[in-house]
Amino acid sequence: MSRRRGSSVDWIFNRTRSAHIEYPLLTSFVALEIIFLLIPTLIVVFVSLESRSVVIFPPSSLSLRWYAQIPNHPQYIEAFIRSVEVAVMCTLLAIPIGISTGIGLIRYDIRFGNVIQVYLLLPFTVPLVVSGVILLILFGRLGVIGELWTVGIALTIINIPFMIWSVTSRVNALNPELEHAAKNLGADELQTFIYVTLPSIMPGVITGSLIMFVLGMNEFIVSLIITTPQIVTLPVELYTAIRANISPLIAAIASIYVIVAFITVYLADRIVGLEEFLRS
Amino acid sequence: MSPQTRVTQLKWRLEDALVATKRRVIPSEIYQSPPSWVGYLLISPGVLLVSSLFVGLLILTWYSFLTFDPFEFIVYELTTESWTEFLTEPAYYGIFWRTLSLSALITVLSVGLAFPYAYLTIRVRSAFMRKTLLVGLFVPFFTGIIVRAYGWLIVLGKNGLVNAVLGVFGIGPVRFIGTKAGVVIGLLQIMIPYAIIMLAPAIQSIDRSLERAAQNLGANPIMTFRTVVIPLAKPGIAGASIVVFTITSATFAIPGIIGAGRVDFMANLIFKTLFSLTNYPLASSFSLGLVAVTSTIILIIFYLVGTGTLGISLEGEE
Repeated sequence: MSRRRGSSVDWIFNRTRSAHIEYPLLTSFVALEIIFLLIPTLIVVFVSLESRSVVIFPPSSLSLRWYAQIPNHPQYIEAFIRSVEVAVMCTLLAIPIGISTGIGLIRYDIRFGNVIQVYLLLPFTVPLVVSGVILLILFGRLGVIGELWTVGIALTIINIPFMIWSVTSRVNALNPELEHAAKNLGADELQTFIYVTLPSIMPGVITGSLIMFVLGMNEFIVSLIITTPQIVTLPVELYTAIRANISPLIAAIASIYVIVAFITVYLADRIVGLEEFLRS
Repeated sequence: MSPQTRVTQLKWRLEDALVATKRRVIPSEIYQSPPSWVGYLLISPGVLLVSSLFVGLLILTWYSFLTFDPFEFIVYELTTESWTEFLTEPAYYGIFWRTLSLSALITVLSVGLAFPYAYLTIRVRSAFMRKTLLVGLFVPFFTGIIVRAYGWLIVLGKNGLVNAVLGVFGIGPVRFIGTKAGVVIGLLQIMIPYAIIMLAPAIQSIDRSLERAAQNLGANPIMTFRTVVIPLAKPGIAGASIVVFTITSATFAIPGIIGAGRVDFMANLIFKTLFSLTNYPLASSFSLGLVAVTSTIILIIFYLVGTGTLGISLEGEE
């Protein structure tokens, strides 16, 4: 991991030194792309600060009144809590499954290991809308539609490859000699796992968990298909609200997601470094 | 005894108890030479979880041959009715064709637009610029599709940002909502981050001295790009194309919200068949058709350009 974390003086120095731009043409083109990528995200926050009750450009005066309105609409708060619940559930399920699958695949001699690895990517190759239909039929036949935990399970199924991926790459990078050394020094298998294996695959687990949680919070199409009105999650609730009308209240609620995204990016950068995400 | 030692001692005791229990439950012989069944046991939860989708595909196949009845929904009698309806009704394969052609267009555009972004992110020396690029990439990526679709409604709407700006110059209002152009713009913004994430590792693995060598031999930046960078980034381009194409062809939210029911994709058709018509057999055959066509196209890309970065990750990073 090559993370540069110099003092703030270093940072200012580096910044001023790079005042001459390395790839001028490329940079200006990419700058336009950044605007394109960020505009629909940031505009939601901007509009949520509108003081009138219609979304028109340019906004009149800025206020936080729509945020103060959120508590008067408990259905959004309930949907938000449900979203957090299913996201936490799918993350907690994915952690042990991801770790054991990762270790099993890399550390043990498994016949057709490559085939199984490809098979484990099935949730990526089946289009999400089809996974939704499949889970609707499966949960329907089991008679459990309308229970919140089904959404948690569904999220685990469709996103588990992310966890397996990030854990597997860490197990791969871990030298088995380290584990052997611990065992030679008298450590029990369990102790070896807790003190040697687990700490070194931890960055992979954290990356995977972060991805699982954020995707769980944001998951839409499968939830739209398998939820009943009593257990809708926030993205589904927002979708219904958007179709009804464009009010700054919806923007205020949607802004929560933008804020969560910024926090996630900040945390990801602090814990593992954003560059890590581009390495897999 | 200081409280800290006590905590440590407690931790040790707990650990001893754990180890003792584990030894009693799991016979230690299995560790002498780890037999592979332990490995199979370890991977079984993951495999079982994924198998629900595999079983589901089989059930879908079965459903697609069942009979639809408007009153009883499903009659357990085998028929090829749904498949015939799917393949003979122009409205249905029209939507299928639109999904595939727009997905192909978006794949080409987003991989093309992602390339300079990914290249700059990897190659730029300034740490500040790299961080800006990474934030510009990951904040939208983590924001979720519904919020971004909503953002596009505000940007592209009749009284939206774009039309407000155009209005200053006396142009417009231009209609984006409910048009193909609007859907393509919205989908590009969703797909470019995926493409960048898939391209970046491939660009990272290109030895920079090769580019310098080309330049020393008199190639201009564009020639270097075309003859050195792009050919060496081919695995990344393949991986990015596959990921973007698969996700786009199954997309629901952007056509649903920006397309406003006028630019439906397969996913919207499947959803409507399921919930408005409650025709499960027909929805099943649509679903299988989508799976079949996207997998075929993925296989074709695999065949033409290799497995790309996807393949590298499959083999594990050795």
